[in-house]
Amino acid sequence: MNSFVRTNPRRCIGCRTCLISCVVAHLGKGFFDLEPDSYNFTPRLFMVKTTSVTAPIHCRNCENPACKAACVPNAISMADGRVIVDPKRCIGCKSCVSACPFGAIELVETGQLQFDGTPSRVALKCDLCSGVADSPSCVKVCLTDALELVTEDDLQAELVDKRRTAVMSSLTP
Amino acid sequence: MTVRQTQTTCCYCGAGCQLLFTTDDEANKILDVHPVRGRTNDDKACLKGWYGWDFLNDPQILTKRLRAPMIRRGGKGAPLETVSWKEAIDFVAKNLLKVRDKWGPDSIMGAASARGPGNEPNYLMQKFMRACVGTNNIDHCARICHAASVAGSRQTIGEGAMSLSIPEIEDAEVIFNIGYNAAASHPVVARRIVKASEKGAFIICADPRITETARISNLHLPLKGGTNLALTNSMANVIISEGLEDKSFIQEHTKDYEAYREIVLDYPPEKVGPICGLDPADIRTAARRYASSKHSVILWGMGVTQFSQGVEVVKSLCSLAMLTGNFGRPSTGTGPVRGQNNVQGTCDMGVLPDVYPGYQAVTDPQIRAKFAKAWNVPSLPSEVGLQLTRVPERVVHEKDPAKKIHAYYIFGEDPAQSDPDLAELREALAAIDFVVVQDIFFNKTAMFADAILPATSWGEHEGVYTSSDRGFQRIRKVLEPVGDIKDDSDIICLISTAMGYPMKYKNSEEIWNEMIALSPKFTGATYEKIERQGSVQWPCYDPDPSDKGTMYLHKGGQFATADGRGIFKTSHYHPPTEVENEQFPLTLCTVREVGHYSARTMTGNCRALRNLEDEPGWVEMSPADCKAIGVATGDLVRVTSKRGSVITRCLETGRVRPGAVYMTYQWWVGACNELTISSLDPTSRTPEYKYCAAKVEKIADQAWAENEVVKIYADIKSAMGIAREVESR
Repeated sequence: MNSFVRTNPRRCIGCRTCLISCVVAHLGKGFFDLEPDSYNFTPRLFMVKTTSVTAPIHCRNCENPACKAACVPNAISMADGRVIVDPKRCIGCKSCVSACPFGAIELVETGQLQFDGTPSRVALKCDLCSGVADSPSCVKVCLTDALELVTEDDLQAELVDKRRTAVMSSLTP
Repeated sequence: MTVRQTQTTCCYCGAGCQLLFTTDDEANKILDVHPVRGRTNDDKACLKGWYGWDFLNDPQILTKRLRAPMIRRGGKGAPLETVSWKEAIDFVAKNLLKVRDKWGPDSIMGAASARGPGNEPNYLMQKFMRACVGTNNIDHCARICHAASVAGSRQTIGEGAMSLSIPEIEDAEVIFNIGYNAAASHPVVARRIVKASEKGAFIICADPRITETARISNLHLPLKGGTNLALTNSMANVIISEGLEDKSFIQEHTKDYEAYREIVLDYPPEKVGPICGLDPADIRTAARRYASSKHSVILWGMGVTQFSQGVEVVKSLCSLAMLTGNFGRPSTGTGPVRGQNNVQGTCDMGVLPDVYPGYQAVTDPQIRAKFAKAWNVPSLPSEVGLQLTRVPERVVHEKDPAKKIHAYYIFGEDPAQSDPDLAELREALAAIDFVVVQDIFFNKTAMFADAILPATSWGEHEGVYTSSDRGFQRIRKVLEPVGDIKDDSDIICLISTAMGYPMKYKNSEEIWNEMIALSPKFTGATYEKIERQGSVQWPCYDPDPSDKGTMYLHKGGQFATADGRGIFKTSHYHPPTEVENEQFPLTLCTVREVGHYSARTMTGNCRALRNLEDEPGWVEMSPADCKAIGVATGDLVRVTSKRGSVITRCLETGRVRPGAVYMTYQWWVGACNELTISSLDPTSRTPEYKYCAAKVEKIADQAWAENEVVKIYADIKSAMGIAREVESR
């Protein structure tokens, strides 16, 4: 089963350290040497604030991903417990953007130009920092521990716990 | 590559987080920064801690580092010319002496820095102003933030600082959070509030907006802006009329209760409800809950102090805590959480017009004699000096030239961005005969400077900061300074020496030792002890290792007043100075952007923080107010008050009340201080940033407005001396 990052909105204070960490992790160690206007700042998670809720939205790494099903050029695949986009195959058709029920995938400018001189845009989503950091960077920097990486084992352990609690409460008059 | 690790204290906000830097010494380059365990932060940091050091790389996004001294050789209007340190110091000394000889020492004003420099240069700055120049005209930006907390707390409980420590917040049983948005101003303190909530604390949040604290609170009191005093008096009214006060604490540890009681009896919730726009039942609940525990904590910020009744509300809050016996134990008391990294320290160092280091009054002849002897001068000025918010009054409005301010030495501040009513402030800066700016960045104030003295930054020098909860912590040199720049302490010593009062110190520790020897409350906090413990909270009287400092104040109900008794005080409520009217139907309040800091010279020059939020900033508006003028999130709008007009971007949100709009104060294009009023609290002289009348207008031609913002931003950068071409988007 795929892993995913879960948010506890009671803990989130909306500071967006997670958004920055995402970009810095993906642009790499050289981030602080880049010419300030030379790169695109494109976090793969999105802060949402309503009157009652504050929380970032991440990709859930669905087991039956709507984005993958909708993807025309087969640029989206499942590997290594994640749903991943191959930017080389992506044609920017936006089918995945329309299909995702969470709004967790969007089209961003790559910073490169196509043959006709127009900016190239591809789908971008959370990759759980695969290949760029040991654990999701957003989880690492969250100062209120509002974010956590949930693996299959974590989810199983939670289920066992919940069932035990349910049994106990049903046996207690 | 020589890799070195250095632990230091973060340069943003009063939380005092510990950061570990990894540097390549040969390349003089930062390789990695991450938070490590400290007394206040555990091992956490916010976005500014993680990514806010990038300005040390001088990426020249908003402005640029100063690398050599500059003066206007030809006088006002002449260009700034790069000169040698010798010429710059002589020029400053000669001109300050000229002003002093002609107009006297009180015609010179000094503003010091609550930011990068740290405690040692601030100690020297006030010593320089008092012993060398001969005036108590020395102040700093506490005046525009927590001066009201210092004044109000000292008048009631005797000590102008947080009575409790940041870590204690999470074990409070009740938190009364008023006018304080921790999530934006101190995320690391917000973390303690979140933890307190999870541990079962009852959280009362009095704030006109739905802040993050309001969102997780058990009771949100969305009071109308500017009505704090009516609310706090009313809570006291409920506590007294329902017999919930702590009678034995009042009797044993306080005085002037009767006069206080008489005032608050005038504020029953039924009368106050309509003033604050609150349900009287909610005021009762808040009061009962607050009085229900001996571990009730009050936290406040600029939403209390930046009003013309700021000091009165602070006194009223300290009185509420005394009324319920909420002092002198762990996880109880009062928490004015300080905004800047070293604003507590700059107060501690006596960079205030009325006190020497360690809060010793300049009006006390014995204290004066002690400092005069230590500083080797025949006498020191006995009159309380001028507050920095009164500089415009003493330049623009004062008619008698003998009473005007003729020279202004500004060290690590940017009043031309941070002070209220900027048009008036600029008029004042332009009219002052001689302005010295000592800073790390070229800034808006530097444009008015006759001499610019470039200093080393946080990360380039050693020293001590004081965190918001009275904790002395070391800052350490991470990088070697680049360019013809000097440590702030060295610059002050050179000027002083050139003016005939020699000062010279080997290092920051020698300065610190002189300071603690003169300040009984700090005497025990030696460098060695700070190194060993990581943090020493004052008061710490004895250098002996057994005196570890003081976690919380007023133990056993012993207050820091002359007779040890707390003094009950409050006043009658009156509305803010400038209320909404037909021409300006909205109230404007200034607030914080979490990723930016102060005048934004530092965070505006950090890649990631600038990417997250950039010019022209936002004005938060209720959906009803947006609908009324036909604007939506993202639209550029014009905000206007009696004093000025700026363009900013609309942010539609149900988190604010109709009729009230909020602008973050860090922006230079959407500069809200062009609009704010310079109405001051009569005691603390803190401006009423949180309330003035304004209007918001739709801009029909959005394309024009977008271009205008780009143009203004480009003009600012070019005025700051950044050569890079700014692309028009």
